[in-house]
Formats: sequence, structure tokens, C-alpha cells
Amino acid sequence: MLKVSALSKAFGATRAVDGVSFHVSEGEIYGLLGPNGAGKTTTISMVCGLLRPDAGEILVQGKSFSANPAEAKRLMGVTPQDLALYEELTGRENLEFWGRIAGLKTGEARQRASELLEALSLTDRADEAVKNYSGGMKRRINLGCALLHRPKLLLLDEPTVGIDPQARAKILEFITGLRATGTAILYTTHYLEEAETLCQRIGIIDHGKVLAEGTLSQLQERLGEGLVFTVDADFAGSSPAQWDGFAARFRVLQQSENQLVVAAVGQPDPADCLKTLLALPIRLQNVSLKRPSLNDVFLQLTGRHLRE
Amino acid sequence: MLRALLAKDLRRARRNPIPWLLNLALPMMITAVIGLVFGSGSGNDNSLGRIKFAVVDEDKSPLADFLRGAANQGKAAQYLEPVFLERDEAERQLKDDKLSAMLVIPPRFTSNYLTGQKVQLELIKNPAEQIHPAVLEELLGVVVTGLNAISRNFNAEFPAWRKALEDQSDYHEIARLIDQTGDKLHAARKYLFPPLVTYTNSVEDAKPVATASPTSPSSTPVAESNPAPKFNLFAFLLVGMAGMFLLLLANQGMTDLHREVWKRTFERYHTMHDSLLPFVMGKALFTAVIVSIGAAIILVGGQWIFHFRWPRPLELGVLTLGYVCFATGLMAVTVAIMPDERRANALNNILSMILSMAGGCMFPPDELPAAMREHLSPLLPTYWFATAARNLWWSESGWIVPAAKLTALGALCLALAAFLFKRRFEKGAR
Repeated sequence: MLKVSALSKAFGATRAVDGVSFHVSEGEIYGLLGPNGAGKTTTISMVCGLLRPDAGEILVQGKSFSANPAEAKRLMGVTPQDLALYEELTGRENLEFWGRIAGLKTGEARQRASELLEALSLTDRADEAVKNYSGGMKRRINLGCALLHRPKLLLLDEPTVGIDPQARAKILEFITGLRATGTAILYTTHYLEEAETLCQRIGIIDHGKVLAEGTLSQLQERLGEGLVFTVDADFAGSSPAQWDGFAARFRVLQQSENQLVVAAVGQPDPADCLKTLLALPIRLQNVSLKRPSLNDVFLQLTGRHLRE
Repeated sequence: MLRALLAKDLRRARRNPIPWLLNLALPMMITAVIGLVFGSGSGNDNSLGRIKFAVVDEDKSPLADFLRGAANQGKAAQYLEPVFLERDEAERQLKDDKLSAMLVIPPRFTSNYLTGQKVQLELIKNPAEQIHPAVLEELLGVVVTGLNAISRNFNAEFPAWRKALEDQSDYHEIARLIDQTGDKLHAARKYLFPPLVTYTNSVEDAKPVATASPTSPSSTPVAESNPAPKFNLFAFLLVGMAGMFLLLLANQGMTDLHREVWKRTFERYHTMHDSLLPFVMGKALFTAVIVSIGAAIILVGGQWIFHFRWPRPLELGVLTLGYVCFATGLMAVTVAIMPDERRANALNNILSMILSMAGGCMFPPDELPAAMREHLSPLLPTYWFATAARNLWWSESGWIVPAAKLTALGALCLALAAFLFKRRFEKGAR
């Protein structure tokens, strides 16, 4: 449904997006995961035509976006990160207006708005001004405004940012339902849990580049057989790579003065790994074992945590 | 789509009316305040009202008595309200804003006048008022011109008159002098009546007489039998205030585009449509509609509030629509140039003030500095509107050209704004 190849955009000397490539199929949620300033919003802005790329190509349903942007935009629905709503109007009026702008007739827009209000659990507050809504309700209306014309490709730019867990759960549930209707969804987020639970494939983006891409398990496999150890000790002045046999058995994901995060190499027995770590020439305080998360993958790729 | 955009904006304006109402209430309030200050004594007709002034008669002569009597009779009594006071009391009342001016007839005024010596009348104006003292000054100028003319033509009779007035002559002597002066006036009558130069205030009917017969050689204008309406200060002021506040209203309408940009609704629209001009044109249409509604409220509402009737409402309506077109176009251009609401507002407010002031909306055009009045003001659209609208009070003609010029200029501005917006969007400006 959407294919992005070698997309680039620079603002002055800053390369906001640098050769980003990915594709999103029908009925798939593709997550673009990265910290703030990684280039997610710039990527989405180029995909929906708000920004003109410096290089690269965007294909929507196999056709170049730049060749016929109007047609490509008809297939898309976009939910911006900021609330793009008229606060003086009611939720219903907002939906109906954006439906009319999307090309629906008045009656169609009215009917579709009622359907969406129902689906978004907002019917009882539909005729109240948006300015009186809670943050979660505004987010839901913001999402609904992109869906009036039943787009085949949905671009969601951090649609759950700044809302409480219950409201987030409602939105995620709704998005999962959309996927079931065959809609292709490009979903940007900096919440690991959202990417892990919602997305079929994930692209990890930082400093404008996609560092890794794949399903959750494919990304976890990058860390070996799924063994990640966190070692708490005083590592000031230490160089683990010089410890005898250490580099052959562990890959350092992160090191600080008080903590070392390592992934086991190969398919070792966890007990053997523990024994090795306990025998290190250093005074240990704690060693813990866990399944690798996307944060660990990110850590391995960038040397820092996603939320730093 | 334009209908949906317009309906949305009108609904938003209705839900948040305070900024709009302020721009509608202010011209009414200013008109009311200025009108009541300068025309409060006018009664129901809301004309200039009677001008109250003091006459300080330090001459105590029969000529001063004659002036006192003249000011209290006929038409003069309708417009003038002289009070005869001592100088101290007159000055006190002038300071208390109870008088528009005080006229001082100095000692030996009559005697000096009749002996051909230079005489002076002193007019002290109330600085807190503008129009009434100015009218009195003009009237005094007429009186002085008359006294000069009498002095030049009846110089030979003056000694006898002086003697009669100073010696308190009997009535037979005064009657003889009147008779003698009357004879002289009678002899001069053929030179004075009819006068060589006359001024006639007439209202012509612009519509020619319908000519059904092709043999009719020409159409003849029909003279308007109704007298011209009286000057109305509220109507005069309201036109100027409308000229200024409709510009501010247009600014508020067009800068809503900037608000749509920072609220990201403009961006959302852009994700749905490639061409952004319909959105901008929708905003211009909204501005034109809201300014038209504003004009109707100010001008029609003003009629009801200040108890007068526009003599030619249709012509005024068409002229105002031309001005609405201009105001919308001008503000569209400035919004297209300015990158954000704050700067656009600052520029537009300054521009509106300058245009209003130099165009004669805030002050009567005659009060403007000569250089501005003669060289700058006639070039300004605000002047075209204010002058043509005020002239409509007296005359049916003279509004079509200003209306056409305003409409054409508005259309030109809108085309320029569309070009500027298109260029900005092509550059990727959001």
C-alpha cells in the first residue's frame, strides 16, 4: 500500500531524515519507533505531502505520490501529533466538517460522523464543544477526523501522546479494529509498549536513519538468543573488553560507572553465563537476567535508552 | 467546499462572538460619545444644536443692543443662544464648559466704528469644544465683513449717526436718519438685487424622465422638490467609524488564517487537498461576509440607535459592498505577506489607523493638514468611501465611481494575495 524508498530531508545543515526506506502492506500496522527528534514526524509529513522530500520516492498503491498528489491524498487519512480541531465546534460538527472537506456529501458526512462517534465511544458527548473534552476525548476526535472517508492508508503520528492509560487503551483497541478492516497503518510512537503490542513490524529510527527493521522477534534476535544480563557494580576505570574470554561470550550493550548491560553471544546456558559473570575480576552488587525488550535493541543500536 | 468552509467559520464566530462584538460596539460607542458631546442640545433632529455663547457688552451702546436683539430673533434664535454676561461671569462659565465661546464688544466700539477708526471684536473660544466655536468664528467673520461693507458705503452718514446715538437725540432725528439711509439703500438696490454672484443649494434628480416616444428629442431632469436633509452629526461620524472599524473587522477575519495555521487545522486540510487556495478563498469569503454583516449592523443599527434615516440606503449599500471588497482584499494581502498572526495584527492595525486618519474617517477631511488633504487623502480608498458616503447624505450622484474603484481595487488585492499565497505554498511555507 505504501512504499518509501531512500527518503531524505534536510533543514539547513541538519539532516532530519536520511535515506529512510520501508513499506506498509494492507492490513498491517507498521511502527516507526524512535525518540523525540528522531525524524518520525518529518517522515510522515513527507509521506502525506506536507513537506517536499529532498530525495527519495513515495509510492502509494504502486503510484508515485509526486506524480498525482491529489489522488494519493484521497487514499490517505492523517492524524497529526498536535490536535488539529476547532475547539469552538462540537465533536460532531468537527467530524462532519472534515467529512465535507474530504469530499463527502452533507448527508454522508453526517451519517459517517455518527458511526465514528459510536465507534469512538463519544456519542453521549457528541454535541458538546470540543474545548470541554478531556485530553483522551480530544485525541479520539482527532483520530476520527482522519477516518471520515474510509482511507486505505492511515498515517498516525503519535496519536496517544499525553493521555492517560485508559484513554490510550481505548485508542489502541480502536486502531487494532481498523487493521482488521484491511487498512494499512503507519504508526509513529516513542512508547515501546505500544510498538510491541500493536505493530506487526517495527522500524527503529534515530537521527533520521532507520537502524533496524522487522517483527518484534526478529529485532530481539539481533541480541542473540534472548539473554540479556544487567550487572550492577563499580565499573569506574574498568574495561570489560580486556577481561579474559569476556568478549567471546558477551556483547556489551551499555556501560556506565555503576551498571553494565550485556547480551549473551551464541546459545549459551544461562547458568554458565551467570557463573562467568560472577567470576569477573570485580566486586559485584547484583546480576539480573531478562528477556530483551525493544529498548534493549535500541540500546544495542544507539548506545542509549529510548527515553533518554 | 466553500459553503462548508464558510459555514464552519460563521459557526465558530457565533460561538466566540466577543472579539467581533467589540469591533462592532466600539464605533457605536465612539459615535455616541462624540455625537452627544457636540450635539447634545440638538433635540430630536440630532443636528448641531443651539450654540450657547456669551456676549460681554463693554460698550453699552445702542449698536450692542441691536446685536442682542438680532441674535434673539428669527433663524438666529433657532441656532444661537446668546447670554449677556459680565466678563468675569462669562469667563467662569466658559471654564465650566457651559459656553461654547464668549464674544467681547470692547468699550467705545460703536463710537470708534462710526468715526472710521479701527475696531476689534474679541471671540474667546472654549478649547474643549471644536465644532460650535468654529461655527461661531465663521459667523463672526460674516458679521465683520458686513460691518466693513456698511462702513465703506455709509461713511458719509456716520457722523450724523454718531451724534444721534451719543447725544441721545429724539426719535424724530433718528427717524430722519433712517429715512435718509433708506433712500441711499433704495438707490443702491439695483446694484445689490439681484446680486451679481449667487449661490443656490439644489438637489437634482439623476433619473431622466422616461421617454416612451422615440420622437422625444431629449430628456429633461426633474428638479427635486423635497428639501435636502439636515446635517446629522451622528450619520457623519458613523460613516467614518464604519470606515475604520470595518478594516479592523476584516483584519480579524483574515488573520483567522494564521490561527488555523498554528492550530494545525490548515495543515490537516493540506493533508486532504493539494491546492490550498480554496481554503484561503474560503477565509476571504468568510471575511467579506462577516464585514458585510458588521457594516449592516453599524450603519443600519446606527440608524435606529441615533434616530436618523439614511436618505439613499441602496446607494450606500452598494458603496459599502465595494468597501467590504477592498477591506477584504487589503487584509488578505497583508496576511499573505506577514508570516504570523502577531505581526499581521500589528501591521494591519497600524495600516487601518493610518488609512482611517488620512482618509478622513477619524477627523473631518477639512480638519486634516493641507498637504495631506490636498495630495494624499484623495488617493486613499478610505477617503473614497467616507467622502462618497457622506456626500450621499446631500446628493444622489458621486458614489458610482468610488464604489467601482473600491471594488476593482479589492479584486486586484485578492488576486495579488492569491499569487502571494501560491508562491508561499510552493516554497513549502506552512
